[in-house]
Amino acid sequence: MNLAIVLVIAAVLALSIILRLAVTRSLQVKGSANAAVKIRPIDIEAFRNLIDPAEDDYLRRGLSPAQFRVVRRERLRAMAAYVHAAAGNAAVLVRAGEAALASGDPRLAAAARHLVNDALVLRRNTTVALARIYLALPWPNSGFAAERVVDRYEQLSGAAMLLGRLQNPAVPVRLSALP
Amino acid sequence: MLQPHSLLWHYLSIAPYILLVVLALFMLKRGLHREFPAFFFYTVFEAAGGGILYAMDVISWVPGPVYWWSYFSFLIVEVFVKVVVIGEVFTHLLRSYPPLGRLARVLISGVGIILVFAATIIAAYANPASFWLISATRILGRSVSVVQCGLILFLFVFAAHFHLRWGGPVLGITLGFGVLASAHVGHWALMADWLLGQKTYLLDFVIMATYQVCVLIWFYYLLVPQKSVTTFAVPLPEHNLEIWNRELERLLHQ
Repeated sequence: MNLAIVLVIAAVLALSIILRLAVTRSLQVKGSANAAVKIRPIDIEAFRNLIDPAEDDYLRRGLSPAQFRVVRRERLRAMAAYVHAAAGNAAVLVRAGEAALASGDPRLAAAARHLVNDALVLRRNTTVALARIYLALPWPNSGFAAERVVDRYEQLSGAAMLLGRLQNPAVPVRLSALP
Repeated sequence: MLQPHSLLWHYLSIAPYILLVVLALFMLKRGLHREFPAFFFYTVFEAAGGGILYAMDVISWVPGPVYWWSYFSFLIVEVFVKVVVIGEVFTHLLRSYPPLGRLARVLISGVGIILVFAATIIAAYANPASFWLISATRILGRSVSVVQCGLILFLFVFAAHFHLRWGGPVLGITLGFGVLASAHVGHWALMADWLLGQKTYLLDFVIMATYQVCVLIWFYYLLVPQKSVTTFAVPLPEHNLEIWNRELERLLHQ
């Protein structure tokens, strides 16, 4: 009997999640006109500093093991906040790219497809990175690297700028800064 | 009214299968059977199988064990057909997103293994009845619906996490299967444990009505033209582009 009750509750939960996601999917698509407004700037330099293994080594040498664990956990939490922001930006750019693709403008198609793919890879990497960060929190002495997130973030910046330039040619985007 | 073999019972027993035949015909006419062959086969299979089972149920000279054997066999084949349809939906969803292909396959395989494991454990906690075939049918139904519901739920969560765009028909098929699978989990859970005793036929009404709703969902998403709600381009505002550029410059000059 207990199992039946558990399964019925699970079924109700599953049904509500499925219905909610199906409904919000439509609302998200309709609300994506303002999607770009939600993009949050990220200080990549500070993020790089956080994930730099040399910084961790320096702290490990200079602090007692207990102090190091406390500082390392703080750094991991800060890292998670950055990765969360990058994941949110990637989600916004997926929608922006999708909307550009749906516009049917052939000039935008390649740039939009490139942006969607890059944003999806970034979102995938941030998901894995977040899982690793949260796993590392109980064991702060373990090594952790999130370089792939940073690298993908750079590529995504380029893709977003390219799409923005194609959509708004009048906007002065300084592409000369790109490698 | 809420009695077996009442007018409502007959309507709910046969109407979804008639609607499925109509849906299959429309799919053929519009060429959707080429785009969704597994789902097309599912509609034909369900309409034929459901119709035969209904006939066996109402014809008085068909022995009970024959009906239950037929129902059990139908359920086993239906499991495979539904799994293939879920695979088809999965393929359609990820077709436009090659970067996620490998991750999605790994994840769905992992989720599938966990769900099969959970379903096996659930089956082990069965409450057998005097006639083993009825028990076996209910236990199989319960275990299978747990796996199907879990897979559909995973698809929705995965698509929501990555903000993937569902095509109208793909969303409709998945939504219908999701609603049906969740209803089946509850239905089979109560049935397998014989919680309602002699009143279990009331659950039949719930599941038959749910099935009718699901068929109507498929009708709507497959046959009603979906509005293209993303026909506008999303401009990236100037200030955001400047922020992106500034961050990039900072990175390049470090």
